[in-house]
Amino acid sequence: MVLQLLANGIVTGCVYALVALGLGLIYNTTRIFHIAHGIVYTFSAYMFYTFVRSLGLNVLPSFLLGVISAVVLGIMIEAFLYWPFFKKRASLMIVFISSLGVYIFLVNLIAMLYGNETKVLSPGVERTFHIGSMILTRIQILEILAFVLLFPLFVFVLKTTKLGKLIRALSDNPTLLTVLGADVRKLRIWIFGLGSFLAGVASCLTALDVGLDPHVGMEAFLMAAVSMIVGGIGNFEGAALGALILGIVQNMLIWKISARWTEALAFLILVLFLLFRPEGLMGRRRRLEEV
Amino acid sequence: MNYLLHILIMITIYFILSLSLNLLVGYTGLLSLCHAAFYGIGAYTSTLLIMKLGLSFPLALIAGIGVSMILSLLVAYPSLRLKGDYFVLTSLAFQIIVFSILYNWVSLTRGPYGIPGIPHPRLFGLEFGSLPSFLALSSVLAFLVFFILYRLSSSPFGRVLKAIREDEIAASALGKKIPSFKIWAFVIASGIAAISGSLYAGYVTYIDPTSFTLDESIFIMAILLVGGSGNLKGPIVGTLFMVILPEALRFLGIPDTVAPNVRQMIYGLLLILLMYFRPQGIAGEYKFE
Repeated sequence: MVLQLLANGIVTGCVYALVALGLGLIYNTTRIFHIAHGIVYTFSAYMFYTFVRSLGLNVLPSFLLGVISAVVLGIMIEAFLYWPFFKKRASLMIVFISSLGVYIFLVNLIAMLYGNETKVLSPGVERTFHIGSMILTRIQILEILAFVLLFPLFVFVLKTTKLGKLIRALSDNPTLLTVLGADVRKLRIWIFGLGSFLAGVASCLTALDVGLDPHVGMEAFLMAAVSMIVGGIGNFEGAALGALILGIVQNMLIWKISARWTEALAFLILVLFLLFRPEGLMGRRRRLEEV
Repeated sequence: MNYLLHILIMITIYFILSLSLNLLVGYTGLLSLCHAAFYGIGAYTSTLLIMKLGLSFPLALIAGIGVSMILSLLVAYPSLRLKGDYFVLTSLAFQIIVFSILYNWVSLTRGPYGIPGIPHPRLFGLEFGSLPSFLALSSVLAFLVFFILYRLSSSPFGRVLKAIREDEIAASALGKKIPSFKIWAFVIASGIAAISGSLYAGYVTYIDPTSFTLDESIFIMAILLVGGSGNLKGPIVGTLFMVILPEALRFLGIPDTVAPNVRQMIYGLLLILLMYFRPQGIAGEYKFE
């Protein structure tokens, strides 16, 4: 029983981690509190659903198209919304509010077109695998696999490639990077593309696993934001650790308390972290007023 | 006629909410996404006191304000030392926790079933059951709130809040204790939001947690962003616009099934356009700089 809950926690944590890594990538470099990340997530799942159900494509190509939709939407939000604001030197608060505007607009558009009810994608009973006393479905294993494959790749890109170097430079000192002649616009498009790609993968896998409704994105965004802070702002890999801890704690506590409290619990963890360790688990130690 | 009275009553209720949130957003520069939580705390506290302990309306109203103010310290203390995004996130967290409690603590709040049969407010032996009399009561309260906030905003306290909004470091260099000013602003705003809650419960005579969701908090915030904040004109214009907009859409013949979505799409789009072209909103003063 404990092992099963742990396994469920790891699955949840892996999905949170993918969204949180993307959100962290965007937040650490642009400082935008990108609430529209949530709608990128929702949009991707609904496009996946449309390709499977309305256009009758197979699951695999639809999955890829769903992830591509996420990337396209993420890049569009950067190119047509955040970039003009950046050019105008608008404050981050203004950018956040416009991001909220995008979220509200698209979530209602989706709710209007598809309805508010939960939609199911997976065709029937999933194949299950027994590992010791734990039972995992095929999709749950894919969710873990996605994280296990993408996380090292993410770290690899960040640590060794030229793109990764530029991303880290942007997070350290954006002004200096511009002075050195880097193409910040192109770089930001890459960042939003990558971040949205991770959200799309998580979203489409979750849609296959438990289905989708117009509000999945807000929940995913909130959990990712909590993971990011628990992991530590300013640290690109920390968000994954935060997400895994969050997923495991939430699922383990189902053993003791009702599942209805999981969301409230996540935020309790957030408040405790903000009170006692605002720099997060892996962040640089800073004074509270600095963060 | 009744329809018009209903809209006017809703306008007074949202006046109180937007004017109080204005103290945070417009005067102190804090983007709070948990105003609906305090609205709900006010509604539930006063309703439970009236229905379980038989308290009179004015006492329950005051108790609701008190409970809301005390609980607001729970958010204010940890979050007001933080800036910008962290404060937004903590307020979001509080909103979600309060909603979870209202929804899941079934033995106290009846959770998703809601509380039906709330009596209309009674004051000095008068029952405010009919629409015109209720409108009179809510207008008086809204005016009272307006008056208090008007005095507050032109007082030294209000000017310090504006100074914090414009330049926190300069204000603290002048010897103002920034955290305690922010905490006071937050506590006062939360207390006032509770008044709306009691009024709403007494008006509709039924409450359930779905009236106090994150969407509602975002809606109250949108009132300020569209109308503008930082002065008293902004929230008034915003409330009129945002409460009347859905009614206007009804006359345009948009079917009821999609009307709520269309309404929210319009204000989502408005937020984007206003932030680009006119960040201070229609009639506001604060530009979120």
